[in-house]
Amino acid sequence: MSDPDAYIALISSLPGSERLFVAKQPPLSRLRLDRRLTALTPEDAHVLKVLEHALNWSDYGMDVTDAQAIHRCKQALGDIPQPTLRKLLMERMDLRTAVAALRLRKRGGNPPAASYGIGRGSRHIPANWTDPGFRLKGAMPWIKEAQQLLGADDPLGLERLLLSVSHKQLKRHAARHLFDFEAVAIYVLIWNIFDRWAQSNAQDAATRFEHLAQQAMSGAAAIDFDGAST
Amino acid sequence: MNELVVTLGWLGIYAPMALGASASAIGCAIAGQASIGAMTETEGGYGRFVGVSAFPSTMVIYGIVIMFTLNREVTPENAGGLFGIGILSGIALMYCGIWQGRACAAAINATKEKPEIFGLALAPAAIIEGFGVFAFVFALVISAGISG
Repeated sequence: MSDPDAYIALISSLPGSERLFVAKQPPLSRLRLDRRLTALTPEDAHVLKVLEHALNWSDYGMDVTDAQAIHRCKQALGDIPQPTLRKLLMERMDLRTAVAALRLRKRGGNPPAASYGIGRGSRHIPANWTDPGFRLKGAMPWIKEAQQLLGADDPLGLERLLLSVSHKQLKRHAARHLFDFEAVAIYVLIWNIFDRWAQSNAQDAATRFEHLAQQAMSGAAAIDFDGAST
Repeated sequence: MNELVVTLGWLGIYAPMALGASASAIGCAIAGQASIGAMTETEGGYGRFVGVSAFPSTMVIYGIVIMFTLNREVTPENAGGLFGIGILSGIALMYCGIWQGRACAAAINATKEKPEIFGLALAPAAIIEGFGVFAFVFALVISAGISG
């Protein structure tokens, strides 16, 4: 259990996590967030880095194997002393294991051997491979909707569902931590969800695509194909 | 044996003051840190934050009044009463001050996002203040029965 009053000033200096999702402009950039996080002790900063390293997709290479990802998660669990953060990490791994299994099954993959992924579903999923929700609907009520979105080829909808589930998990833990290190770590993880959420904004993506297309087209007009000046 | 009992009596007289001062210091520090953090995030209303962070300072005032009320010649007959009332009222003030500081910090943190809930957000701190007043008033009432 961390000191309950360790980071009162730090937490109070951050905009409320709810505001992250309703604001048109991000109320806090990663640069500013990192500047605020310099208030963390070296030990807590290390734990936060390990946690983010295990959870952030951007920290995983495209060629990462299941074994490597599981190894990284187990290593992180060894480095994180706070029970809440360990539980939080395992919950996210449960979610990822279930979604990875749904994707594998949709691609027509064979049922995995005795164990798959990491977490409480690792043995349960192979044993219930033919059940639509791997008999996990009680523990993971969102799995039915995830399966439907996957079946409907709606990756954006699925991404948003998973971000929403992860956000709810974090908010549930946040209710028990007000000004301690766990509260800071949960805030940073919510910020990461907000960041991914903002990146998955379809309208923004369309605008960005249009802008890039226009840039490319204007660049193409200036190309001198025949060696003649234009 | 009598010396020890008399010493405990003196301890009881000064305890509300010492524990009340500690409570106010810790409570104000907790709430003060929250107000400093909130000031870096908001554009105004700084005076309100500082004002709220001073709430737990009342505990030391209660402690001082209890100390003066208990202050009398300490004898083996009245030392037990002085010790009991002084220590227990001091502990009550200590808890009230620390938790009031935490309640104020939470209120400041919430108010920076929603200034309209300022009054309601202070309700928990005000309720804790009420418990501190109970400890204070009844320490005075009970101390009237101590001889000397």
